[in-house]
Amino acid sequence: MGLEFLARVRRTSLWLSGLAALMVATYLAPLPGLAIAAGAAWSLANLEILERLIVTLTGTDRAALPSRARAFGWLFALALLFGGGALLLGVLPAGWLMIGFGAPFAVMVAKAVSGLLLATGLWARLTRSSWRAALLVIAVGGLAWLAVSALPRAGAARAAHATAVAAQASGEAAAAGSESQHEGQKELGFPTVVTLLEAAAPEAGWVRFVVRYESILFSALVALILGVIGFFASRNPQLIPGPLQNAVEGVVEFINDFLVGILGPRYGPRYVPFLGTLFLYIFAMNLFGLLPFMHSPTASLNVTFALAITVFVYVQYTGFKELGVIGYVDHMLGSPRDMTGWILAPLMLPIHLLGELAKPISLSCRLFGNIFGEDMLLVAFASLGISMLAFSHLPFGIPMHALFFPLALLSSGLQAMVFTVLSTIYFLLMLPHEDHEHDREAHPAH
Amino acid sequence: MPGPPPEEPKYTALRSAGMLLAIPTLLIVAPLVGGAIGGWLDRRLKSSPWLLILGLILGFVAAGRETFQIYRRYQEQEERD
Repeated sequence: MGLEFLARVRRTSLWLSGLAALMVATYLAPLPGLAIAAGAAWSLANLEILERLIVTLTGTDRAALPSRARAFGWLFALALLFGGGALLLGVLPAGWLMIGFGAPFAVMVAKAVSGLLLATGLWARLTRSSWRAALLVIAVGGLAWLAVSALPRAGAARAAHATAVAAQASGEAAAAGSESQHEGQKELGFPTVVTLLEAAAPEAGWVRFVVRYESILFSALVALILGVIGFFASRNPQLIPGPLQNAVEGVVEFINDFLVGILGPRYGPRYVPFLGTLFLYIFAMNLFGLLPFMHSPTASLNVTFALAITVFVYVQYTGFKELGVIGYVDHMLGSPRDMTGWILAPLMLPIHLLGELAKPISLSCRLFGNIFGEDMLLVAFASLGISMLAFSHLPFGIPMHALFFPLALLSSGLQAMVFTVLSTIYFLLMLPHEDHEHDREAHPAH
Repeated sequence: MPGPPPEEPKYTALRSAGMLLAIPTLLIVAPLVGGAIGGWLDRRLKSSPWLLILGLILGFVAAGRETFQIYRRYQEQEERD
């Protein structure tokens, strides 16, 4: 993640947000277009200042007086930018401003994901011949065009369904109405075993229970399946492993190497069981929705938030355990060691607390948004495939959504990996620094 | 006779992608959390809009700080590899 990456993000964001602002100003209204441009400009200025601040604070001459003066200068510029942002929020529509603000971040995410894809052998093979590369570009363009045309259709169908459900609910009691709305929401995804049960016995008490706790039951089922696989793989370990033991050992070795590579040999092995289980569990839950009549529990914010809260609680517990109560409070106050540090400590505490609170929310929202979006994309293409054969009155359609299975597989793996990597980094930020530990061991007198 | 090729750092691309995906959401979520807490306190204490603005500013600072921390750890990892 070099600085040239951020320069590329800036260039792309400038073009993208400029184009979006022009289009919105031309086809919608001038004010929203202006808000997108202002939001993007504000966000880019924020990133630029943060980048310069970080470069100043991590440079080799960071302790020198000119560097400190430069850092204070950038902090002052940041404060001015916040003032400008508050003014913009009062003048321009906040929603469009946020869209512009989010544009550089969307570009950053897209570039990160595409960077990962471009490094794979599959991509290298696909683009070795210029003809194959051209065909790939045409296919991707065609799919994007289909997606753009299919998504509003799915949205319209959803809106029509919601209207019908609301009309139905208005004639019934309030409790029954909320049930119908719940049923309406179920119709948005693919049919699952739960929707089939609901259709078969809508009044049965246990079916209502299953419908109410659908995501939890599916996540418990995934845990059970993983548990059974783990049990059979490790029940009778052989020196020359069978196919199942071999596969599971390969997965465990990959996860172990990866996590120990980040956490280091001292703390890594201690947290591999938790973080590795987290990765496998999330990956399996993400993939579960691709099976017929199953549902991805991670497409529910409740499940992703529960996972993020688990990580949050464990990270805080680790902080207490490894640093001690005084060390934890010291960490929260920004580890003040001089007068300036102690003066800034009351300010560092809320900043640190906000940073800690933001972590589980960002973890859960990212996973939920990606998996829900992936599910909706598959639903939109499945409905497109059905509508393409609607004239024939056949009881099936063209499986258009199958085209997106490779993308869904990639996205499921990537999102599980991102959740695990970030959780690992949150542990790393809470743990005592290993280099300091080595120093302490080497020089116990200090 | 040339020696063996230098070993590629393991999983660098995955780690980079993880870091890059962490920073944008943190930069967006932290100010939103700060704004939400500030707004809630404003409603409780009837001090609108000062605590909202303070929460937003603290949120942006927290986001910047977290980004800095993650970037610093990332740099250390790169140097170690």
